[in-house]
Parts: sequence; C-alpha cells; structure tokens
Amino acid sequence: MKGRDPIVSRLPGRALLCAIGAVFMAYGAALLLTGSALPQLGSAVTWLVGGVVVHDFLLAPVVIALAWLAGRVLPGWAQGSVAVAGIVLGSLTVLAIPVLGGWGRRSDNPTLLDRDYATGWLIVAGVIVVGAAVASVAVRSRGEHGGGRGERARRR
Amino acid sequence: MPIRRPPLMPAEDWFRSRLRSAAVAARVGLWLGVCFSVAFITGLISHYARATHQPVPFPTWPSWGYRVTQGLHVAAGTAAVPLLLLKLWTVYPKLFAALPRTRPAQILTGLERGSIAALVAGAVFQLASGLANSAQWYPWAFSFRRTHYAIAWLTIGALVVHVAVKLPIIRDALGSPVDDSTRDRPSATSPGPISRRTLLRATWASAAAAVLVTAGATVPGLRRLSVFAVRTGDGPQGVPVNRSAVAAGVVAADVGDTYRLRVRCGSHAVELTRADLEGMSQRTRSLPIACVEGWSAAATWTGVRIRDLLDLVEAPRGSDVVVVSLQRHGSYARTLLQGNFADDGDTLLALALNGESLSLDHGYPARIIAPNRPGVLQTKWVTGLEARP
Repeated sequence: MKGRDPIVSRLPGRALLCAIGAVFMAYGAALLLTGSALPQLGSAVTWLVGGVVVHDFLLAPVVIALAWLAGRVLPGWAQGSVAVAGIVLGSLTVLAIPVLGGWGRRSDNPTLLDRDYATGWLIVAGVIVVGAAVASVAVRSRGEHGGGRGERARRR
Repeated sequence: MPIRRPPLMPAEDWFRSRLRSAAVAARVGLWLGVCFSVAFITGLISHYARATHQPVPFPTWPSWGYRVTQGLHVAAGTAAVPLLLLKLWTVYPKLFAALPRTRPAQILTGLERGSIAALVAGAVFQLASGLANSAQWYPWAFSFRRTHYAIAWLTIGALVVHVAVKLPIIRDALGSPVDDSTRDRPSATSPGPISRRTLLRATWASAAAAVLVTAGATVPGLRRLSVFAVRTGDGPQGVPVNRSAVAAGVVAADVGDTYRLRVRCGSHAVELTRADLEGMSQRTRSLPIACVEGWSAAATWTGVRIRDLLDLVEAPRGSDVVVVSLQRHGSYARTLLQGNFADDGDTLLALALNGESLSLDHGYPARIIAPNRPGVLQTKWVTGLEARP
C-alpha cells in the first residue's frame, strides 16, 4: 500500500466525512421510521432486504454459474466476445424487467408502455449476438485466443 | 493454492479472477458515485418543486428546467443499473471475507460492513423502485415518493461513509494503471476471458446503451432507438397522458353544460362557463409537460392567463392559489399554485392543446400549465381557483 497504513491516512478528514454520512443515514432512517405506518414500513424493509437477497444469493450465483459454464463449453476465441455480450445484454435485460413485464399497463391509458418491448428486446439481443459473433470470428481469424494484450502471455 | 473441495459457504479466496479487483471497482465506483450524486441532487430539486411549503419559491424560469432535471434524474438512475451490477460483481468476494481476529478490529469491520449493507440495500432499492415507478408499476404497500426520498438520504449517507473509509484505496487505485496488481487479493490470479480494460469498456458501453434505449421518453430524437422507453411520445393531440380521466374518476357529466369555474378571493367570487373562458383574452405558449416518472413532451397550449382570472376577483399579486380539480381519485384533487407561478405571464388555464380543444384525458374543460413545474402539479379538470392573499 505504498508504505502508508490505509486506515490512518488522512484520518481527520475522513472521520469528518464518515460523520456527515452517518448524519445523512440517520436522517433517512428517521424519515422512513416516522413517516410510514407499520404495514408500509414492513413493505419498505421487505424491498430493502429483498433486493440484497435477490442479488447476492440468486443473481450473482447464476451469473457465476453461467460464466463457469461458458468457460467450459466455449472455445477460447469466443470467450472474450461472449463475456462482453453477456455484460451488455445481461444488464440491459435487468433494466428492462419492468417494461418487459408490462405490469403497469392500464386499459384506460394506451399512451403508457405503448411499445412492443419483447420485439425491442429481440432486436437488442440480435444486435449484440451478431456483434459478438463477428468479433469472435475476427479473433479466430487473427489467431488470437481470448484475452487482451498482456494477458495472452500469462495464459496457460 | 485454490481449495480443492469448496466449502458450503464460499471463502474470499474461492474467487480467482483478476477482474475482481480494486482497480476495476474504483473506476466503476467513481462513475456510480457520479450517477448517484446526480440522481440525489436532481431528486432533491424534484422533491422541493412538489413541496407545498417553500421558504424560497421554486423558480418559474427556465420553463424547461424541470424537464431537464427530472430527465437527468431518471437517466442517471438508468445508467447506474449496469454500473451497480458490475460494481457488485467486482466486489462480490468481499461478502465472504473472514472477520479480523481482534475485538476492536472486529467492531470497526462490523460497522464498515453494516454501512456497506445499507449502501447496497439502498442502492438496489432506489434503482428498482425508481425503474418500477417510471413504468407505473407499484408492487408494494409503501408511498413511493416518501420512501424513495427517505432511502435516498440513507443511501447517499452510506455512500459518503463508504467513500470516506475507502478513500486511500480509491486514490491509490485511480492513480495507478488499471492492470496494476499490487492491491489484488492473493488468490486473484486467473486472467479471465477479457482484460480489465475490456471489462471497463463493456461497462461504459452498457451504461450508455441503457440511457439510449430508455431516454426516448424524454428526448424526442432518440424515440426510434429507445426500444425500452416507457412512452413512444404518441397520445391524444400528440401528447402522452399520465393519468386518464377514467383513472381520476372524471366522467362526461362533470364537464358538460353544468361545468363552472369558480374563482374566489375572500368575499370576491365569480363563476365562469367554458364559453366565458373562451371569450377572455387568449394566450398561446410553448411549454413542456414533464412528469416525475421521467417522460416529457413539448406542446403548444392556448388559454387564459391565471393572473387575468385572479384580477377578476382582485386577488393581490403574490397570492398563493389553491387549484381544485374535478378528479375524485388520487391525492392531487387540490394542489397549491405558488404566488410566483400564479403571477407568471406564462402560467395559463389552458383550454386548447396543439391547436385543438383539450381532450378529456388532457384535462377538458380547463387545466393548469405553468413553466418549470412537475407534471403532477399541472392540475387537470380545473373547477376552482381559490386565492390566498
């Protein structure tokens, strides 16, 4: 750590920042606790905890499993492109869950959620998959097998 | 050496990718912090714009101000989705890090992990609830506005604590080349399928793409690209509707021949029919309608200046005005039009939109349209204006 103990570096300034952050957190918690009836508070806490649980114990393990599988199944020249495609398509898909589900749609308001989001997703996925395929073929024809500069040398 | 038989609970050294590093986390975290700061500040602006008590009046200028701040609010939150996912992926091994041996270090580590738990919970909550709200999907029992606001403070506070704790590592990581491995965990030696630079580029591309595929709801030029936008921008008279007459409980009988606009200030009161309003001096203004959900549209409105109506009942300048709507459902049947908005020459009781008489869903017979104002306060189906000198 370049000879400096990270815990004590610039300690007074950072302690002040910590205190400011703690005050903001306390204000937020007070707003939450005083402004909500019990069932509403329960619903908010469910969503707060639920988000962490869904990410840490569902989404993250699934991503790890898929990455492991891709590492086993795919040839080296395709792995880099597929990783990039997975990052872009995966995050855009998570983003699109509310519109893909269309749960907010109302019969009395046709101007809301008025696109064909499934087709939109297929277009996005198609563009990304074609891009990844072209990039993979380019890597293969150049004889490169995954990885960026500098990393290829370290690969076993 | 890697553990041959992974235990039921993964250990920190179970994760071997060089990509899960402080070098990547600091760079993604920097932009995540920028996005959350933009969303926090624009969120505070929006919250204040909707407050009924404003010690400093919210300005009526520029007319497109709220359109820009609320568009930025949603765009920053949208860009933060890929950034947060990648940031959490990068630091995921930390979830399984062993506790230190000594008691004081345990307490410090416990506090730090508590602040990170609050940060992750708050960040996921803000993005998930904000995205759902922009799609008008409410799968919860809490008040969105109040809870999103409270958790914004909790999250930004936890972010400040997190930056304070990590500042030396952040400075060190940002000041070194991205491939520098001095801060890597000892087990993180596997090169992975892409370089750190490629991982970062993929992250920036995801964040940019996230904005492009959604921002068409507020940037007309992006409509064709924005396949995940919550609105195409189409609607009656060329403008989308946030809340229909049916949803607000307004029926045709309410707006027929019996409709009257009652304008009152103390003992002065007048009752006007829609024909009376059409007979008054008409103004035409181009003003955006910009909703808290992040969509917006520019439109041309024609109607009577609110100030001209207030003059009929001799309301002094600076009077706040309670706007009464015919709507039966929702909490915006009575709204407050602050004095500076009521007096602004661009604030209209609109009767027409883009050259046609207002459609029922746009607030026929008459609606408020004011510059730099959240759409939720551009009250539709107006039947009463009560000046409070």
